[in-house]
Amino acid sequence: MSVQSEPAVRVHGLTRVYQADGEPVRALAGVGATFHRGTFTAIMGPSGSGKSTLLQAAAGLDRPTEGSVWIGGTELSTLSETKLTELRRGRIGFVFQAFNLIGALTVEENILLPLKLAGARPDRQWISAVVDRVGLGQRLRHRPAALSGGQQQRVAIARALAARPEVIFCDEPTGALDTNTAAEVLILLRGIVDEHGQTVVMVTHDPVAASYADRVMVLADGHIVHDMPQPGAARIAEHLAALGRRPADPAGATR
Amino acid sequence: MTALAARMLRHRPGSSIATLLALALGALILTAMGTLIESGLRYTPEPVRYAAADLVVARPDTTFVSREFGDTHTSTVALPEGTVPVALTGKILGVDGVAGIAVDDDITVTGADGGPVTARGWGSAVLTPYQLVSGKAPAGDRQVVVNSGVAPLGGPVDLVVGGTLRTYTVSGLVDGPRVAFFSDAHAAAVNPRSGTVTAIGVLAAPGTDVAALQTRIQKIAGKDVAVLTGAQSGVAERSADRSAATLLVQVGASFGGYVIMLIVFVVAATIGLSVRHRRRDLALVRAVAATPGQVRRMIMAESALVGVIAAALGVPAGLAAAHWLTGELTGRGFLPEGFPMLPGAVAAPAAAATIVISAVLAGLLAARRVTGIRPAEALGEAAVEPGTAGKVRLISGLIALVAAGATAAAAVSGSGQTALGAALGMLYLFVLAVGLLAPWINTAAARLLAGPLRAIFGASGYLAAANLRANARGTATVLTCLVLAVGFGGSVWFLQNNLERQAVAQSRDGLLATRALVPADGLSDAAIAAVRAVPGVRAATPVRHTSVVLPLMGDGEVFGARAVDPAGLDQTLDLGVTSGDLAALGDGTMAISETQASTFGWELGQNVPVRLGDGTPLELRVVAVYRNGLAFGDIVLPRTAVLGHTGTGLDDEILVSAPPSADAALAEVAAEHRATVVDSAALTGGLARDLALSAWLNRLLIAVMVGYTAVAAANTMVMAALARRRELAVLRLTGVTSRQVKRMINAEQLGLLGTAVLLGGVIAALTLSSVVRALTGSFVPYVPPLGYVTVLGGTAVLALATTILPVARLLRVPPIEHMGIKE
Ligand SMILES: Nc1ncnc2c1ncn2[C@@H]1O[C@H](COP(=O)(O)OP(=O)(O)O)[C@@H](O)[C@H]1O
Ligand SMILES: [Mg+2]
Repeated sequence: MSVQSEPAVRVHGLTRVYQADGEPVRALAGVGATFHRGTFTAIMGPSGSGKSTLLQAAAGLDRPTEGSVWIGGTELSTLSETKLTELRRGRIGFVFQAFNLIGALTVEENILLPLKLAGARPDRQWISAVVDRVGLGQRLRHRPAALSGGQQQRVAIARALAARPEVIFCDEPTGALDTNTAAEVLILLRGIVDEHGQTVVMVTHDPVAASYADRVMVLADGHIVHDMPQPGAARIAEHLAALGRRPADPAGATR
Repeated sequence: MTALAARMLRHRPGSSIATLLALALGALILTAMGTLIESGLRYTPEPVRYAAADLVVARPDTTFVSREFGDTHTSTVALPEGTVPVALTGKILGVDGVAGIAVDDDITVTGADGGPVTARGWGSAVLTPYQLVSGKAPAGDRQVVVNSGVAPLGGPVDLVVGGTLRTYTVSGLVDGPRVAFFSDAHAAAVNPRSGTVTAIGVLAAPGTDVAALQTRIQKIAGKDVAVLTGAQSGVAERSADRSAATLLVQVGASFGGYVIMLIVFVVAATIGLSVRHRRRDLALVRAVAATPGQVRRMIMAESALVGVIAAALGVPAGLAAAHWLTGELTGRGFLPEGFPMLPGAVAAPAAAATIVISAVLAGLLAARRVTGIRPAEALGEAAVEPGTAGKVRLISGLIALVAAGATAAAAVSGSGQTALGAALGMLYLFVLAVGLLAPWINTAAARLLAGPLRAIFGASGYLAAANLRANARGTATVLTCLVLAVGFGGSVWFLQNNLERQAVAQSRDGLLATRALVPADGLSDAAIAAVRAVPGVRAATPVRHTSVVLPLMGDGEVFGARAVDPAGLDQTLDLGVTSGDLAALGDGTMAISETQASTFGWELGQNVPVRLGDGTPLELRVVAVYRNGLAFGDIVLPRTAVLGHTGTGLDDEILVSAPPSADAALAEVAAEHRATVVDSAALTGGLARDLALSAWLNRLLIAVMVGYTAVAAANTMVMAALARRRELAVLRLTGVTSRQVKRMINAEQLGLLGTAVLLGGVIAALTLSSVVRALTGSFVPYVPPLGYVTVLGGTAVLALATTILPVARLLRVPPIEHMGIKE
């Protein structure tokens, strides 16, 4: 993998304008960024700064108003919805803040769902390695409702890994977790970057969470205002505070 | 995909129960209707009476030929009592290959037990064939052959023939269907028809090619009569069964077709709602890697699955319902006794298939919305659907509304059948317009109601108005279903009330006679003469109920008619003549009700083509047009016109104008002729009962339909109420008290259901008043007080049972339980 110089994800000139009650809202105002393979990037910024919007556009979940997104060598804007889905299946994984799992399916079925939808045969060895990695071997037959929040997030990470994607996007994956559980999840993410050479892009509002990353990007009002390699929690907090007007909203943009 | 669909279904059965219920009820109705259609379509009259004849010459139907724009259109209707001239026998006997013939006089007489018996000449016994078990053939005019067991050989048998009681001696006994055989000469003598018989049976000479013989006889018999083989001859003896078969197909097809449309609509709505409620799940599946097509297929698989379960539940229930319905229809005289109803071997699988297809179709419609779900919504907070409905929907709705307005104008200004048709068209169009425009109507209503709701309910009213506006699209189905139920039920159901009331009023006003003789079987000329001879009787009018066939837009249609003796008619009956004069009702004339005159476009003095029930064509001049058609029938003929053309030759009632002093003498005459004397109120009461009976089927169908739409509305309301647990929990955690939440829900229900009842009521009132005007001339329809209570009470119960109670249950649980991150 390291031989390839091509980045895992690249966005260029991303603009996203929402229509809210007839008024245009500019969530992203020309963002450009490159995420290299085997790196762990944290995206931070005040609530409403466009973090989720950037993540969704980069992950092909949403289409930008302007600009382009490359996943590996593929430019997304020209793909049909079906092609885009197929690309997401094989090359992108996600972890959201909550509601990651389908309640009707068991843990194992949730993990295998993307493969099943793709009609692909799961690579048993890899799947059991993933399940071991996230430490859920005992819970495979359980329903998500029987798991704790941290366990649910670990299932979501396992699902994201199941198809061996090129990049995993996480939107506040620890937002709904207590400090200890959050740490477990972050260690897991750090581990898959270090051990499997995965690429992870994670939105978070928590400087401690961000300190697990190799690089921290700070968004404000739809622009990238800082891009720091391995800054450490203290420095991140400082930067956020320097953004002044509003400190990072501890509750995040969600609930 | 199917497996995933099944899993998601099992996990959240709640959202599919509404769909299941709607589909299962639909399957029930469709199976029942399908059984009616199947029994009607596959009905073949079994030959019994003429089974042994080689050929049968009869007139089972009459054909109308019309030419329009160079196209020839033919329409065939079953004749109530078709006959052929006896004169044909001579010609047929002369045809090469005919070995013998036998005529069937087919006279209805009354047996000793009071039931009707078919009497025939012994010569026709070979057509069935009947064989003597003992004794010999009847001879003279005092001998009869009856079924074994009715009377002993040589014993006496009482029969009422032509209204007179006669005692016969049993000369022989036969086995087979109930019958009485006279000698041929006696049968011909007591045949009330003049020179006609029901059928002429032909026996071919041995070795004759029957098909060729059929052609030869057809050539000399003319095209008005049919020459049937023995196997086809069932049509010549079962006119009642045949019209029943037609009725079954008509009722089943029109109602079933309507129900299919309703099912697709209702089920698309419930599936649509369950898609809305599972938006986040579906967005997640999309985000995780399902293509839009896969999600659509999943929803369709889910609907198909629900459809299959619904069919499994509904079809057996439908078969049971069909069984029940057959009993009711037979009991109420819609079906002749012993009509062969089929068990639904085709109807049941057809209904099941229709239900599954409807479910898939509805799923397809609902699944189109899935395309609008962005996978990013799975990350999202509120997972709400964008609120705007499509432009196409708005435009179609407006077109329907304009069309409804135009038809309303036609309904109000037209007359007769045109106005009736326009009124029904208007009803459909208005309901369609409401269905399409529902989201905008809801929004507008929410805006308009914001002030009043706030004034009445305070803060709760303010929240209610906001919710109504926000859920305008989600509640569209509820609005449509309720408007449909109120609009359709209100107009068609109450229309029956108006018709009955009007008919009774006409009968009360129009019956000048003080008494009437009502017979057990029929009244003969002797009875009329006896009544007229009673001292004090000012006038006596014999009335015969018969049918005529009239050409309506190229098709033959059977109408009920009354044949009356015009002498003294002005003292017994006031038909409410609006133009012309009933005094002129003599040979070659007729009178017609205003409603039918305008339907047919017939005017006073015009000569019009009429066919009697036996097929005889007449050209009659319209001498009077009258108002009281609902009570006294749409066609009135002079009695002379039908003499010799009806099966019994007897009258159905005698209207008598006489002082009370004549009662005793009248009662004596009546007793002598096996009749009873009733007063005019009883006659009117009898009419009301008859009308209620014939309206029963209409009422049943309307009730089923209104019930179905009400269940659909209830369904969607329960679904919507239960889907609000989270929202209500948020409100309560924000500090809104449970009492305020309840008030808010009450205010919402008041707003939504109030709008629906108002719209439905306006539509029903418009339809009802234009139909009533077309039928009676008055714009103001009658609605029974209980009607208002039912509509308003029913709606209130619906609101209570489907929303207020479920919400109250949700409110008993601490809000935090509904807030969980886990869903
Ligand atoms: N679906 C949407 N419709 C309208 N506006 C939106 C939508 N999603 C996000 N926004 C707006 O775009 C801006 C950025 O939102 P988001 O990317 O969710 O911020 P963050 O994740 O950084 O809190 C905010 O002002 C938000 O209100
Ligand atoms: Mg966000």
